[in-house]
Amino acid sequence: MPFRTDWGIKGAIGVLATVVVALGIGRSLDSGVVPIGKQKVSLTFWNGFTGPDGRTMLEIIRDFNRENPDVEVSMQRMDWATYYNKLMVAAMDGRGPQLFVVHASTLPRMYRAGYIADSSSLYSGSEAIPPSDFDPYVLEQVKFNGKYIGLPLDIHPQGMYANADDLKAHGIVDSQGNAKLPANKAEFLAAIDKLKTPTVWGFALTLWRNNFQSLMPQFGGRYLDEQGNADLNNPGNIAALSFLGELSRKKLIPPPENGLGWVGYRQHKVDMVWDGVYMLGDLKRLEGLNYVAAPIPQIGPKPGTMADSHVLCVRQGISSAQRDAADRFIRYLSQNSIRWASAGQVPARKSVRELPEFAAMPVQSAFSKQIPYMMYPPRTTVLFELTLEIDVAVEKVIRGTADAKTALDLADANAQKAIDRDRREAKSGVTP
Amino acid sequence: MSYIRQTQRAGLLFLAPYAVSFFVFAILPIVLSLVLSFMRFDLTNQSAAGFVGMDNYREAYADPYFWNAVRATLFFAIMIVPGLLVIGLSMALGMNAMARGQHQVRALIFLPAMLNVAVTGILWQWFFNGQFGLFNFLLKGLGMGPQPWLSDKGFAMPSIVLMSVWWSVGGTAIILLTALQQIPVMYFEAASLDGASTYQLFRRITLPLLKPVMSFVVITTTIAGFQMFGQAFMLTRGGPELSTRGVVQYIYETAFNSYRMGYGAAMSWMLFALIFGFGIVQLRMMRRTV
Amino acid sequence: MSRTPLRVINQIVMQTIGVLMLIPLILMFLTSMKPEAEVLNPENVVPRTWTFANYQQVLGWAEEAPFGRWFTNSVFISCAVTLGVILFSAMGAFAIKRLRVPGGSGFLTLVIASMMVPGQLFLVPLYLILSRLHWLDTPAALIVPATAGGFGLYMLSQFMEDMPKAIEEAALIDGCSPAQVFLHQTLPLCAPAISTLAVFTFIGSWNDFMGPLVFMDSVRNYTLPVGIALYQSSYYTEYGLTLATSVLAVTPLLILFALFQRQIVSSMSASGLKD
Repeated sequence: MPFRTDWGIKGAIGVLATVVVALGIGRSLDSGVVPIGKQKVSLTFWNGFTGPDGRTMLEIIRDFNRENPDVEVSMQRMDWATYYNKLMVAAMDGRGPQLFVVHASTLPRMYRAGYIADSSSLYSGSEAIPPSDFDPYVLEQVKFNGKYIGLPLDIHPQGMYANADDLKAHGIVDSQGNAKLPANKAEFLAAIDKLKTPTVWGFALTLWRNNFQSLMPQFGGRYLDEQGNADLNNPGNIAALSFLGELSRKKLIPPPENGLGWVGYRQHKVDMVWDGVYMLGDLKRLEGLNYVAAPIPQIGPKPGTMADSHVLCVRQGISSAQRDAADRFIRYLSQNSIRWASAGQVPARKSVRELPEFAAMPVQSAFSKQIPYMMYPPRTTVLFELTLEIDVAVEKVIRGTADAKTALDLADANAQKAIDRDRREAKSGVTP
Repeated sequence: MSYIRQTQRAGLLFLAPYAVSFFVFAILPIVLSLVLSFMRFDLTNQSAAGFVGMDNYREAYADPYFWNAVRATLFFAIMIVPGLLVIGLSMALGMNAMARGQHQVRALIFLPAMLNVAVTGILWQWFFNGQFGLFNFLLKGLGMGPQPWLSDKGFAMPSIVLMSVWWSVGGTAIILLTALQQIPVMYFEAASLDGASTYQLFRRITLPLLKPVMSFVVITTTIAGFQMFGQAFMLTRGGPELSTRGVVQYIYETAFNSYRMGYGAAMSWMLFALIFGFGIVQLRMMRRTV
Repeated sequence: MSRTPLRVINQIVMQTIGVLMLIPLILMFLTSMKPEAEVLNPENVVPRTWTFANYQQVLGWAEEAPFGRWFTNSVFISCAVTLGVILFSAMGAFAIKRLRVPGGSGFLTLVIASMMVPGQLFLVPLYLILSRLHWLDTPAALIVPATAGGFGLYMLSQFMEDMPKAIEEAALIDGCSPAQVFLHQTLPLCAPAISTLAVFTFIGSWNDFMGPLVFMDSVRNYTLPVGIALYQSSYYTEYGLTLATSVLAVTPLLILFALFQRQIVSSMSASGLKD
């Protein structure tokens, strides 16, 4: 017995060691670096497009690589939260991708980190992308200290998706008998009521915070005041949040612990939801759901929704050859943004939106109607803290543990603390 | 005596590999992070970096979110340490007393520990789901109403503890079982020949001989409990209303979402102080009880 | 342990517990074979329609996701880490508890204290250190720092303290070199504890998420669980799909465990310890 165990443990260690050595040798032989014939400029491109839209992006990249044999763009994608962490840690050390995508709302922070290179060259010169081809509001988001630090690729507003079959079945139709999505508060509430059955809800919230932020502009709400101080308890915000709170209180939407949001819509258990245009990719893979889209109904005195943009950026400190290649890729992507639109996005360039192919995309076109009155997240370096406060406030109101005014008052106070602290700490002031 | 010196010198050689790795990859980062905790270091504003002395610690002391997180973490630790110890020990004793099939049960109990926290989180998120989760479905079958497993402040943390017990008890039980089986059977045989009851055998032989390993289990479980992150993050993201957001999650968000590394480091050190304090108390207690 | 009815009850209870621990895993597997519509209706545990759709979707990413490479990465790194940890920890514990190395117990206390430092704290400083060493995006970044963990040293020290020193002391006095005593007496005597440590270490290394995520840049250098998790192809939680990816991430581990289970479990029990 002792002899056998003796052999056992040393034998086991021996096996481990053999495996390690064998694999180690094997790996160093297959280093994976394929020697490239000509001098290729290789660029890494990171983003968070983990949905089906990522596949579309991959295909666009493949075509670019084929048409530009002297450049090799390789893409890496991961979920947005992880992506930002990894990006920042890499940036801190001067490593990281040459090309990357960020949300316009994160630009203040990214810019102050000194990570992003000036991209004004994209807008001038012989191959210039004309600034006039963008909505001023959108282009403003990428302008810092008079320079453009990126190229907006798309706009992704929140809009309304509905189940066309159920709407028709309950008589919510227009004169031609097609499903008619509610356009204002009265129609919206009436629809919720008509659509409700023992197994189906008329409406459910998806990402609570996004749903609230979509309503904010409708009531004249805003995040910050003119001095850049927190204004979360603005009467407009309170009105918007109160509306959602009412929906919850009157049990017009599923109870909070239900978790039915987007998944419920896919499962025909919810007939109307508000979500981003990028969710289209998931709907396209689904069979049996006759989806239809429209702008978010006007619940408040004016129309409004929430939106953000994906911005293509280039890292500081890359070689001029890489910069050149990166610029070519960005231009290519921008010119081909109609393909990107098919993945469930609204192109940022006006000329692309005027193409007939875009008009033939019903969901994207419907959502794009909201561009004149959409509102982006606030341009601040403490976006995370602000968003967290909004999250908690919205949660309290929907769960019924606080009313809108109390919740938003507290959120405002905490947000202001974060803003004050950030101002105090920012010595070399780079005002976003 | 040269024998002693010879063995001691050999001892240095034997300890050297671990010690080198430890100093470079454990002590050095720890020292760096201690330095960091006295600095203001915002990744997105590195030009404003500089020493601020105790400011970060003062900020943490006055930060209601920090204390909220401490409360959540304490709540978790207080439930998980006795839970894992008692359930783990019971399982170890139970397995040890099995006539046959001990190996199979041992393997089964250990299975959950092979999952990583993300997978376990998703699985239990599905179990706890209010609408289509397994538990509420079972409750419905038994005629009871659905429970707000993760959406009610009173339920959320206990639910997280439940998942953690399922996930970790296998490891605890295995360690205790291995230790149990190292106790020479002869001791038990002699004592029961002398007329000792099962309880006396347990109290006078098993417990004292298990003490070093039990104290190891208590300390490591406490340390792990205070550092709980993945479980709550996967199940509730810290909700409802931040009631399950532990200190490590708050530190993580501060360092990697707000990019305030200095402040994050300071809070980590305050957490360390907490863990250390508890650890000392526990070591003292274990030393005193037989 | 003499009453037979008590034994029978214990037998039944323990086996039930074993099954209870297994059930969630079985459910995970069964649910991953359900189409999405069924996932949300838990009336049937067993899928009415068995489908591989979720797995097809996951494996369909293969053109951009090098599963095979991720798998060998995981095996290589986990084996190397396990080897490193058990050797370093066994040698260290031997030095402290048997060779009476000067400052041994103080060092051990320091190590235990270091375990109390929250793991996330290490991330950024470690990243900077590894960057200076040019180890980022190489396996060394995951393997070497793992050997600095205190769990192994602490655990083996406690087990060694619990074991009688007589045999080893006698051998040392007799003039055997410490190396001989270590190889021929200590290792076999500690085999149960070392095996247990090895299993824990391997699993911990396999499931490590933050390490590969932060210290590896290229996709081909990720480990299997990290790679799979990052390629979630949805913007919301599609449980069927997510559970399928989880099954794929954990299956290699389960297979390895099943293959070596007899070995591992038998060496975990103290068949080698005589008194």
